[in-house]
Amino acid sequence: MDNFIHLMEGFAVAAQPVYLLYALGGVLIGTAVGVLPGIGPAMTVALLMPITYSLDPTAAIIVFAGIYYGGMYGGSTTSILLNTPGESASIVTALEGNRMAKAGRGAAALATAAIGSFIAGTLATIALTFVAPYVAEFAVQIGPVEYVALMVVAFLTVGALLGASVLRGLASLGIGLFVAVVGVDQLTAQQRYTFGSAFLADGVDVVLVAVGLFAVGEAFYVASRLRHGPVEVIPVTGRWNTWMRREDWSRSWKPWLRGTAIGFPVGTIPAGGADVATFLSYASERKLAKGRRKAQFGKGAIEGVAGPEAANNAAAAGVLVPLLTLGIPTTATAAMMLVAFQRYQIQPGPLLFESESALVWALIASLYVGNLMLLVLNLPLVGIWVKILQIPRPYLYAGILVFAALGAYSVNFTSVDVVLLLLIGVLGFFMRRYGYPIAPLVVGLILGPIFENQLRRSLAISQGDPLALVQSPIAAGIYASLVVIFGLSIWMRRRQRALAATAVAADEREVTA
Amino acid sequence: MTAQPTAPGDSRTALSGRVGELLFAAAVLSLGVTGFLAGAGIQTPPSASDIGPRAFPYLVSTLLVIVGTALIVQVMRGRTGDAEEGEDIDPTVRTDWAALAKLAGFLILHIFLIEPLGWPVAAAVLFFGVSWALGAASWIRSLVIGVVLALILQVGFAGLLGVSLPAGILEGVPFLNG
Repeated sequence: MDNFIHLMEGFAVAAQPVYLLYALGGVLIGTAVGVLPGIGPAMTVALLMPITYSLDPTAAIIVFAGIYYGGMYGGSTTSILLNTPGESASIVTALEGNRMAKAGRGAAALATAAIGSFIAGTLATIALTFVAPYVAEFAVQIGPVEYVALMVVAFLTVGALLGASVLRGLASLGIGLFVAVVGVDQLTAQQRYTFGSAFLADGVDVVLVAVGLFAVGEAFYVASRLRHGPVEVIPVTGRWNTWMRREDWSRSWKPWLRGTAIGFPVGTIPAGGADVATFLSYASERKLAKGRRKAQFGKGAIEGVAGPEAANNAAAAGVLVPLLTLGIPTTATAAMMLVAFQRYQIQPGPLLFESESALVWALIASLYVGNLMLLVLNLPLVGIWVKILQIPRPYLYAGILVFAALGAYSVNFTSVDVVLLLLIGVLGFFMRRYGYPIAPLVVGLILGPIFENQLRRSLAISQGDPLALVQSPIAAGIYASLVVIFGLSIWMRRRQRALAATAVAADEREVTA
Repeated sequence: MTAQPTAPGDSRTALSGRVGELLFAAAVLSLGVTGFLAGAGIQTPPSASDIGPRAFPYLVSTLLVIVGTALIVQVMRGRTGDAEEGEDIDPTVRTDWAALAKLAGFLILHIFLIEPLGWPVAAAVLFFGVSWALGAASWIRSLVIGVVLALILQVGFAGLLGVSLPAGILEGVPFLNG
């Protein structure tokens, strides 16, 4: 009951007109950048961080929460409406919506994605409201040894499991941890890897790295292999409120609920990430479909849009559970949210619900509000999103670079930071080119100092005995779950590859026929 | 990338196409080696009650050395990474190094222009240059959008939010001072 009262107080804050405006701004920016290829919510939060210094913490966090949810809605519009030939089947889930649009059913695909996202987002936020305080209560009791175990799980799942290549993910993680070490050691005040430079002694700013990797690296990479010519968007016809037929509703509601049930738990465990959830939902919808509907999979089955989109949004809410209660981000966007908190001297973790109660509950309340705004805005405004989607790419990437340069310069107001931005951008370019994922680097950079701190505390308590790290029953349980997660992930990767292969085969048959 | 990947995680490319990737893997390895060499210079206070400031850097360097070595072996044996895909990426074209050089060049020009001419001018030049390098249809339109965007950002962030962006040659114009 206590939590209910807290939530109501959160609504009282989030419903103030000025905060409603910030939430609206956040979801609009979030949807716009979600629609645009090349810009994700992680990049947007990174870009906006230096220039939102003048906002109070509550306003800034509400804006970032809006961007976080808005980005999910916008992304589905792009995958449904953008006609990009030659896209591989790596994103099986995007396939169905795109096929529906090509068959003239784009409107229904957009509608089931938006309504499914709203239902999943709302249900998952309710789950977050009730689960998070209990996780926080549990988390207060665990010590540094258990924290080390949780962070090892987060590192290994984000680094080794989420990308296509285990070694490249770990390399990316290692680079992030290395950069995190550069600067002055917090405990002993010794300089590490500064090579006598006063500039490096301050450490490398996380925002600079994130903007460099996400914005500049992406712009460089796209520039190197830009798809020239006009952006082809599949037209959407009819009025938005007649998009869903009776049959579409009856085929969508179960996938929405199943997607939510899959997405939220997958998001909460540190093995999360929305990709895993969307894939699981897609695979189960395909398995459950019967007869004519099963044959539609690969050619535009509405279940294949409704389920994964719901799972995607539910997972996004689930990711906030470890972020808020343990201070452990499991996606690049969550990592940037953590940095946003730290900028305001707020450390997400077990004590957050006690020390910053008002802020946390205002954040959670604004998630409900933002979700509702997104549903109300998204379908009627689809014309605007299509316009945004059609921005000529030279202007889009020029604009991204201007914003990146602005963000980098605003960190310390010196041109040296923009030089560093350029160098990090070049690193981001080569990482993309050679298939190294970006997220592990960012997560490693942000969690690295916290991890080292907890590791040293654990070993100080055990007087240097490393066996103590696995002797606590809870920690041992966490490591055991890591083994299970790895086993499941290997199985899933095989399934995913098989599914991708059949989807590609179906695609090729269609092309040759 | 001269050859198309055949399947995820199992792409085979001729050795000539793997040089860049080998160099990147070697860079990962050498970062780890650097970590050990430079880590030896980290001072450990004798009074430190814990494992000290040197242990964690060594741990990270170990990870980088192992992963870097394994990557070199993997790439030598012909298994290359899958280049990232995206909606704006054309998988069939060759790398356009000239466009990349232009982008980097304009970013460097931007850096040199901030102090003498002010942020708005530097930003307008950056926008114009990059959109031109990426093949914008009309350079006049690029110029106009660049100038307007730079002024809006300067007014919005410097004038209204108080972010200290130097106005440079526009110093003294109302709303533009950071």
